[in-house]
Amino acid sequence: MKKMLSVLLAAIMMISLLAVPALAEDAKVLTVVTWDATTTPYLVAQKEAFEASHPGVTIEYVDVASQDYAVKTTTMLEGGDTSDVFMVKEIDNLINWQAQGFAAPLKDFDKDYDYSGFKGTEVNYAVDGVQYAIPFRSDFWVLFYNKDLFDAAGVEYPTNDMTWDAYAELAKKLTDKEKGVYGTHYHTWLSAVVNWAVCDGVNTLADKNYDDLLYFYKLYQDLEDAGACMSYADLKASGLHYSAAFANGNIAMLPMGYWYVSTLIGYNKDGTCNFNWGIVAVPHADGVAAGSSFGNLTGAMINEKSEQKELAWEYISWLGGEEGAAATASVGARPAWVSENVATVMSSVEGFPADENSKAALLPSAVAMEWPVAEKVSDIKTIVNEEHSLIMAREVTPEEGIEEMNERVAELFE
Amino acid sequence: MSQAEARKVRYKMGKLERKNTLIAYSFLAPNFIGFAVFTLVPVICAIALSLFEWNGGDISKLKFVGLDNYATIFATKKVAEKGLGYFFDRADLGIALKNTVFYTIVTVPLTIACALILALLLNKIRGAVFFRTVFFFPYVSSMVAICVCWSFMLMKDGPVNQMIMALGINFNRGWTADSTMAIWSIILVSVWRNMGYYMVLYLAALQGIPRELTEAATVDGANKWQQFLHVTLPQLKPTTFFVSVMMVISCFKIYDVVAIMTDGGPGRSTKMLVTYIYDEAFVKVRYGQASAISMVLLVIVLLVTIIQFGSEKKFSND
Repeated sequence: MKKMLSVLLAAIMMISLLAVPALAEDAKVLTVVTWDATTTPYLVAQKEAFEASHPGVTIEYVDVASQDYAVKTTTMLEGGDTSDVFMVKEIDNLINWQAQGFAAPLKDFDKDYDYSGFKGTEVNYAVDGVQYAIPFRSDFWVLFYNKDLFDAAGVEYPTNDMTWDAYAELAKKLTDKEKGVYGTHYHTWLSAVVNWAVCDGVNTLADKNYDDLLYFYKLYQDLEDAGACMSYADLKASGLHYSAAFANGNIAMLPMGYWYVSTLIGYNKDGTCNFNWGIVAVPHADGVAAGSSFGNLTGAMINEKSEQKELAWEYISWLGGEEGAAATASVGARPAWVSENVATVMSSVEGFPADENSKAALLPSAVAMEWPVAEKVSDIKTIVNEEHSLIMAREVTPEEGIEEMNERVAELFE
Repeated sequence: MSQAEARKVRYKMGKLERKNTLIAYSFLAPNFIGFAVFTLVPVICAIALSLFEWNGGDISKLKFVGLDNYATIFATKKVAEKGLGYFFDRADLGIALKNTVFYTIVTVPLTIACALILALLLNKIRGAVFFRTVFFFPYVSSMVAICVCWSFMLMKDGPVNQMIMALGINFNRGWTADSTMAIWSIILVSVWRNMGYYMVLYLAALQGIPRELTEAATVDGANKWQQFLHVTLPQLKPTTFFVSVMMVISCFKIYDVVAIMTDGGPGRSTKMLVTYIYDEAFVKVRYGQASAISMVLLVIVLLVTIIQFGSEKKFSND
């Protein structure tokens, strides 16, 4: 009896092993590693649009926590993970993955692919002339502002052509300590405070000279002293996220990446915040064209270990191209593919501010890369960020901190 | 017993012994296999890896570089040029070493003192069980939760600063955002969390001190303080030895509190050996260099342990 039972069990197991691949034959599943898969609207929109236009293919997201994305995904790849597509959060992640041999070169697939819509930004994903990923989002920084607070204070809204000095003055004007209103808000990141120095398209954060950051540190400290923004020390200790801070409704302006638009639209919908807001181009320094900004690319690469590279290419080429761009733009995110329609699609998204300035802010005059592709860039990042935290916590003066950046980065190349 | 019989018995005994030994090994095996697979082999690999340059990709890209990784982390070129001061003031490893040693030197005695005082207080008082639970609680709580809560308490306008201000001391800096105070906030949280655990060890040891000893001391006219100094403390020596060895090792491996509360900052003020290793290995994907740093950590922990065990005699009861 026992023997028969075990034979039966073994038989069932064999059959089920045979049956699963047979069933899976026509339904293809493409695994895509990404971050915040459930809370990011464009990922949902992209999945729906791709599955609708590609019957029989299912996109399955592997969700990785956003702040651990680089470390976790690299560890996955080192462990031989066979997920088909990995989204690229930072450019230098891809550069590392390429060097480690995890990124499949696209040269076998992209012979007839039209890159023109990326306006040259795709070269950031190329190594020695070979493309390793396709960009699908290109975020640049804009200035968010709370229209209700400006109305209440009887101050004109910010414009698309504003210098940093004018911005600082505006921030101080809107600060109302009695009502707990802050004129502006700086997130703790380096990029939120001083990355503006690269907007001129000449300076980069890897050029080994950081004197150009001084103006922005001074500007920040002046605003902090005036109580026009929350202090860095408090933000650091409380871990207050900019999205919650601005949604609170007591912050008049916020320089932040374009990605925050879709978050805010979502907040308006679900009632997290209910004030009117708008966007304008970030302020510019004297001598730099109005509408200049900096930004970052988000892309997708094919895992060298993927067993369905053809399908993966089908997906990432779609994602970056016109159709994927439309899906991405439909929820307020900015695709990397820039065509005539994109700005129109983006500004017609429900919940996008209706004023002309906000629409105009969708087309920046120039976008520099937040961090360039450069030798030893991850070491430089560490050094600059360490000194940044000392300057921001007022352990050292901006002059001392910048001198330290210059010296330590120079030592890297000795 | 004839010789043949004796041989037979010996043979039987031998067989039994072999059998017992085998059984013993079979009991040890699961633990040893786990140790070998998850600790021993990785340690050996790390020793080898510290002589290579490797970015975590294909194994074929391993490049033998000899002692280059060590030269890089010790900044030998710069040190030769500018003296040892350069290593401790500017090199990442020097700063991490300095911070870790400072953290250990302060944390170990402080935790032992707190644990001992708590144990003495809770040894015989009423409601001891309740308080023991209270002090043990941090040890079983989630580290992340503890660190997040303390971060809030140590904020610029947080409860801790308000208490300090109430004492009339003008102090209004956020602890974790200040490079002199940041390491103290790490020490504070570590001591607070671990003292309950070591308190339990001391409590057990206190229970084991024979009453006759204290009674004899009382008869001889020793006061409470003298009793503590000359009877209780010497009796606790073995426990103190054990506790200090365990703590020094765990202090050198400090990571979680730093990662959650300060992430090594501000600047490099709370950069520790393990956070440095993590950064090199998983953020900058330089496994060779990271392995070299872990070898430094291994050597230090080994040295400290050897020294401590060397002086074990002084700590024993006899």
